[in-house]
Amino acid sequence: MEWNFWAVLSDFDLLLLGLVNTLKVTALALTFGVPLGLCLAVLRLSTLRPASAVAAFIIEFFRTTPPLVQLFWFFFALPILIDVRMTPFIASIVTFSIQSSAFFAEIFRGGIQSIDKGQWEGGKAMGMTYAQSMRRIILPQAVRRMIPAFMERAIELLKTTTLVSTVAYTDLMFQANDLAQKTFRPLEVYTVVALMYFVLIFVLSQLSIRVEHRLAKSGDSTLR
Amino acid sequence: MNHAWDFAAILANWQVLWVGLQGTLTVFAATVTLGLGGGLLVGVCRYAKMPLLRLPSMAFVEVFRNTPVLVQIIWFYYAFPILTGVEVNPFLAATLGISLNTMAFSAEIYRAGIQSIEPGQWEAGKALGMAYQQTLRRIILPVALKRVLPALTNRGIEVFKMSTLASVVAYIETLNQAKLIADLNFNPIESYTTVALIFFVVLYPVVQGTYILERMLRKSE
Repeated sequence: MEWNFWAVLSDFDLLLLGLVNTLKVTALALTFGVPLGLCLAVLRLSTLRPASAVAAFIIEFFRTTPPLVQLFWFFFALPILIDVRMTPFIASIVTFSIQSSAFFAEIFRGGIQSIDKGQWEGGKAMGMTYAQSMRRIILPQAVRRMIPAFMERAIELLKTTTLVSTVAYTDLMFQANDLAQKTFRPLEVYTVVALMYFVLIFVLSQLSIRVEHRLAKSGDSTLR
Repeated sequence: MNHAWDFAAILANWQVLWVGLQGTLTVFAATVTLGLGGGLLVGVCRYAKMPLLRLPSMAFVEVFRNTPVLVQIIWFYYAFPILTGVEVNPFLAATLGISLNTMAFSAEIYRAGIQSIEPGQWEAGKALGMAYQQTLRRIILPVALKRVLPALTNRGIEVFKMSTLASVVAYIETLNQAKLIADLNFNPIESYTTVALIFFVVLYPVVQGTYILERMLRKSE
């Protein structure tokens, strides 16, 4: 067995393109997933029973079914159901926005519930409505506490986006498969790609650990 | 929204799905046992004072926690055989990838559990003349394991969902079989909806059970 990285390095731009697409999917899924998660959490916490039950069902459903099944459903099944032109890109964004929103909803819920009851009462005493108290008093404090859990989830999301390669979206994993077939060098290609993921995710994890420590010192963290 | 749902082809092919479910359960049983069992070993080593034990387990944990599990499975399927000359079938690739990933994640759970025990417990063990290993086995682990039980169940749930990734290397499990049915009967909606429902029905009670377990443990502490 002889390692030969030449084939990988000469086509490295293909892998970089994949990396950009991986980051694009992650960023877009976060952009839609976080607000959607907040909506789900607020519904879940609402005193209106049907709204809370529906939100709870959506959250539990997307947390207990495998993301790969969800992706296949949105890619292969949804276009038949509602007659849209589905591309791998759209299916990926839709799947991971909804999938991560279910997890973000639980983080939001934990954060909101961790805020002392007195804060709500304070808002009420000042004559604020529920929505005003939530926006002006509760969320600003809750979000700060949720940052570590958010970062952890975002990193999980980044790892899960490798699944989009199975519906032929050109992320880093897909480009790796492609290059491995073209060059007949699977060992080198997959090792390099594993390293690329490792470096990216390791740096992000370290960053999140640092933020977590800083927040833990100031007492603002709901993680563990 | 004028699709007429028709589950007839699914019901006619229930045996195909059943074979898939057996595959899912096989890979789950193997990976959850190896992953959570091996994770305890790595977690204890990760906590050890000896650098010879601590550093390799630390590296192991970092590598497998910070790479996507799909990359690991594919690496074991396509790259590992070239490196070692060992033939790797889809089952082995999926089992290796998911087990090692789970070992790394659960090692951190066990470590957190061990670290959560007050130092006084270690000192008490020492005062009674117990060796490090005896204290660990008789005093620390029983309490630590109880504390991390909910986290471990959550890992188990993740592992069950991860088993679908085995379909990427063409291992015969539920999702792979559903794809087969969908391709033959042109019914992706019903096929993939059924798989989603199967996972939901299996995991929903487990998740609810975990919540109850968490509440019970919090009360008993």
